[in-house]
Amino acid sequence: MADTIAFSGAQLRSLVGHRFTGGRYRIEHWENWLLTDCTGRDPLPDGLAHPIVLFHVPILGVGTSIAELFRICGVEGPGSVGLEGYDWEYVRPLLENVEYRMEGGIVAAERTTDPSGRVVDKMAFEISLFDEDDRLAARVTNRWVLRR
Amino acid sequence: MAAILRDPYPVHWDRVANAALGLPGRVINQGPLNLGYIANMLLAWAGPASIRRLTVSFGRPVLDGDAVTAHGRVTSVDVVDGERRATCEVWLERDGEHVVVGTAVVAVDAPAIDRSDDA
Repeated sequence: MADTIAFSGAQLRSLVGHRFTGGRYRIEHWENWLLTDCTGRDPLPDGLAHPIVLFHVPILGVGTSIAELFRICGVEGPGSVGLEGYDWEYVRPLLENVEYRMEGGIVAAERTTDPSGRVVDKMAFEISLFDEDDRLAARVTNRWVLRR
Repeated sequence: MAAILRDPYPVHWDRVANAALGLPGRVINQGPLNLGYIANMLLAWAGPASIRRLTVSFGRPVLDGDAVTAHGRVTSVDVVDGERRATCEVWLERDGEHVVVGTAVVAVDAPAIDRSDDA
C-alpha cells in the first residue's frame, strides 16, 4: 500500500535533512496580546510573550508556513494532518519587540500503518530561536501525523 | 486563533467543511490553544517567567463547546543551574478523558523576568 499512494516512502525519507530558509521574527505587542487573550488570561507582565508563541513564531520566523509544510509533506484536505506532540524548551524569557533569529529543519520522518492498513506518516521538525545577542532563547521540536 | 497563528487548516474554522469529518457544526481547537490552558495553569502557580520546558502528546481532539480542565502533579524537584525546578505531570481533561498529556519543567522561584545578564 505504501508504494501505491501519491507520496512515496522514498519521498518521505528525503524530507529528513530539509533545512528551512531561516530568518527573523519580532513578536509584536498586539500579536502577543491577542494570542494571550485567546487563551483566556490577562497579558503577562514586563513584555513577556505567552509560552504558546512557540507554535507560530518559529514556523514563520524560520521562513516557512503551515501551508508550505503541508505542501512539502504532500498532504491536503480536512483530517490529513494531526498533532502528535511538542517538545518546547524555554532557555530565556521570550519577549515582545525582540528580533529573534531562527534556524531549523526536518529532523525525522517515518512511515507507519494504522490498524486498518491506512498509511500514516510521522514527521518532526526542529527550530531554534536566538536572541539579539545570538544566545539560544528557545528550541521547539514538533511532531506531526500525516494521513494519506 | 487560527488567524493569529496564520493557520489555514480548515478544521479549525470551517464548521461546514467539518461535516465531512463527522463534526457537523463544530471546529477543532488548535493544539497550541489546548497547551495554552496547561501553560496558564503553570503560570498561575509558579509565575509568569517560570516555564522551562513543555513536552506533550495530543490524544483526542478538543472541539468548540467542550469543557476542559488543566491538571498537574509535581513528581520531583531538582536544582539545575542554581535554580529549583519542579518536574510535573500535566494533562488536559475532558469528561474524565485525558486529551493532552505530558511533562512540564517549571522554575519554582523564578523572578518575573531576569535581565541581570543584559548588556
